[in-house]
Amino acid sequence: MKLNKKIITVMSVVCSLFLVTVIYLTYFMLFEAKEISNSTYNQRIWAKEEKVLRGNIFDRNGVVLAESEQTEGRQKRKYPFGKLYAHTIGYNNRTYGKTNLELNFNDYLLKTESVIDVLKRDDSDKSLDKGANLELTFEHEMTKLASSLMEGSNGSVVAINPKTGEVYCMYSNPTFDPNEENLLKNWDELSAREDSAFVSRATQGRYAPGSTFKIVTAATAIESGFGNFSLTDSGSVKIGGHIFNNAGKKSYGNITMHEAIKYSSNVFFTSISQEFSKKSFEYMAKEFHITKKIPFDLDVKWSELDFDAMDNVEIASTAIGQGKLQLTPLNMALVSCAVANNGSIMKPYIVNRAYHEKGNTIYKAKPSVLSSPIKMNTAQQIKEYMISCVKGGTGTRAQVGGITVAGKTGTAENEKKGKTHAWFIGFAPAENPQIAICVMKEYSGSGGGSVCAPIASKIISHAYKTGLISAN
Amino acid sequence: MEKRMLSIKPLFLLITANLLGMLIVIMNKDIQSENIVYLCALMCLINVIAYLVINLCALGDGYLFIIISMLSSIGIIMQTRINSDNGIRQMMLYLAGVFCYFITIIVYKVFHKYWNRLTLVYFGVSILSFILTALLGAVKNGSKNWIIIGGISIQPSEFIRILFVLSLAAVLTNGKFKKNKDQVEDKKMKRLRLGIVAIIAYINAFCLLLQREWGIAVLFFAIYLSYLFIYGDSKLFFSANIFAALSAGFIGVKFMSHIQVRVSTWLDPFADATGKGYQILQSMFAISAGGFAGSGIGHGAPYFIPIVSSDFIFSAICEEMGVLGGIAVLLLYFVLVYRGFKIALSSTNDFNKAVSIGLSVMLGVQTFIIVGGVVKLIPLTGITLPFISYGGSSMITTFIALGILQAISSMKGEVTDEIE
Repeated sequence: MKLNKKIITVMSVVCSLFLVTVIYLTYFMLFEAKEISNSTYNQRIWAKEEKVLRGNIFDRNGVVLAESEQTEGRQKRKYPFGKLYAHTIGYNNRTYGKTNLELNFNDYLLKTESVIDVLKRDDSDKSLDKGANLELTFEHEMTKLASSLMEGSNGSVVAINPKTGEVYCMYSNPTFDPNEENLLKNWDELSAREDSAFVSRATQGRYAPGSTFKIVTAATAIESGFGNFSLTDSGSVKIGGHIFNNAGKKSYGNITMHEAIKYSSNVFFTSISQEFSKKSFEYMAKEFHITKKIPFDLDVKWSELDFDAMDNVEIASTAIGQGKLQLTPLNMALVSCAVANNGSIMKPYIVNRAYHEKGNTIYKAKPSVLSSPIKMNTAQQIKEYMISCVKGGTGTRAQVGGITVAGKTGTAENEKKGKTHAWFIGFAPAENPQIAICVMKEYSGSGGGSVCAPIASKIISHAYKTGLISAN
Repeated sequence: MEKRMLSIKPLFLLITANLLGMLIVIMNKDIQSENIVYLCALMCLINVIAYLVINLCALGDGYLFIIISMLSSIGIIMQTRINSDNGIRQMMLYLAGVFCYFITIIVYKVFHKYWNRLTLVYFGVSILSFILTALLGAVKNGSKNWIIIGGISIQPSEFIRILFVLSLAAVLTNGKFKKNKDQVEDKKMKRLRLGIVAIIAYINAFCLLLQREWGIAVLFFAIYLSYLFIYGDSKLFFSANIFAALSAGFIGVKFMSHIQVRVSTWLDPFADATGKGYQILQSMFAISAGGFAGSGIGHGAPYFIPIVSSDFIFSAICEEMGVLGGIAVLLLYFVLVYRGFKIALSSTNDFNKAVSIGLSVMLGVQTFIIVGGVVKLIPLTGITLPFISYGGSSMITTFIALGILQAISSMKGEVTDEIE
């Protein structure tokens, strides 16, 4: 009957409304709920937090970096070292919400012991339920040192164990005091600042990498079979109608890649970039996670770069870290990690574990390989060149007595004329790398070899003296 | 008449859910009132008696009542959990609803011959109550849609829903239009019929818009469109109506600030998170907090949501019983709507068929409008969730509507088309 057919159609429409609602609810729960519930407007978070004493945060040696105290029924989050960890641990307060680790590890910081653990507890223990503590991979003294070395200039210091991915130090300047009362006092001023103190330069700031990027270019060339490439460097070269000069128009004569890295020859690397394919360059950028997100405990920025659309001049500019390419200091630290760790990048992490004071570990970071952009031989070859760069090239100021340092300097031109970014990436000890480092000073106007290499040297020397790394 | 196997299983499940749910609420909220215990016992008793009466006296569909009772129980449990006084009132409303349910069955069956002749009465009463509300109405939650009679506040727009369905169904199936001898109505008559339907629908919708009852206006339009689709032949007329609705919606979004607010808070509730977007955000937070499994009854924080006991009750259910619990509730409505359409399909009486279509669409679309609204699938319009939202008018009306469906299901095969 025709009427009944039409009724069935209407029924199907009405019933599909239910189906749509069910699907939407499931979708919402799977993909949107988490982000929405983290909103600062969500009073539920605070309602729950009143019942749980937020877990503390420690560095690798047990130094307290963030702690919660119960006073007059209200909790207070304290950061004893103020501005040192604002960009990594972040802040947690009712007015401005949560950021960084305080946000990303909120669930652990508020996770109370399971019912069984509580039952096992001593009856006399009547303390408030406590969330899990976090143990970070940071070394507090190194962060303090980095902060004092960066005093007065903007930029970032990142130090990572290339064998495991543990981040020893991640510090960005300018920074701010995340303690609630100071945040309340300074918020307007901080928001108005032009150099945006809220931005973590290490993970969120993107800069032209300058000559430090030649490591990636060299890696692409070696992997593409141009490891023995040599040319006569007359101080400048013309590519696609554009003239590329060496710094100070210095000419190095007949050079191989070894000298090219040691002295940072622009002529060599712009020329060699014309030899390998765009595809292999693009592939390398992706494998180094420069054009791909780095999975990390903090939010990171990455670049989108269309290598296919680039002409020869742009490829040449990119090969020496100029042009459109911009990346974060964390990115460059990982490039250094790849060379240090025989071609493999370990996934970086800050939170080593989350644990209950009287109970079990509920989260433990497991070192894992993030990607292996280059072969072991390629890594060895580049390592040799980086050693001689520090031994007798542009990076001599990174030397540390007693151990061999490998490194590469960079001085990147940018939109502000004469205010170059200064870079240094490196690792030590070269024979058995245990620390990889990236130092960046934005708009410093000086060379990486003169302002960043000394900082790297002091950080590595500190790690050596305190026994964080050993000579071999 | 077919012989029915009496199955106790669904009844058993219902009673178990009732007892467990109330037990959790009473323990959790530490409720001292003995009345709740007595009322709960009475509710279970009524569940049993009503179920047995419907099945043993062959009063048609055996599942309608059990699903309604399950939904009402969930409603009562949530209402008690939010506010125990409201819970007690909701229980009494449920009992009153069941009473109305059976009265409706009896009255509808006894006077079944007359229902399709009362178009003017249905329409007249609707218009009269619109006028009364406009003159004597009180304002609650931004809409002037309440009348207070003898201390009891009534929401006439709730009752008008049934009158609307009855009036359209009566016009569409009234025998008077089939005057020619082959009993096949000619095209002219059919057009006239649809014309009257359109006029009734638009007048009703207009009155509702004046009262700012957006939700119910949309609901009426959905019912009207379903009728047009099923009973009309002209695709042009159907499309013209959809076009009219769309342009009305467009004008509303463009020029009427209330509708603008609803649409903009739907698109971006964070734009004014402490003001206009507050309600919907609290609802989203509640649902997120519950997760799939829910926080457990009594362990959530539904009191953060404004008007949680009526419009936003579904969010509270999702928070404490989880999204899975929410989906289960939706499935109950789904089955209920499906049974309604099944009754329409098997009904042999034209008028009854039309009425059951209207009531089923009403139930389904109303649930979608409010649930879709609170989960931010569609813009939010204030409308009650049948059987669960706190409120007498809504409860009694939906029980009457379902009572009519129950009566129609029991009349299958008994009453065929009668031609005057």
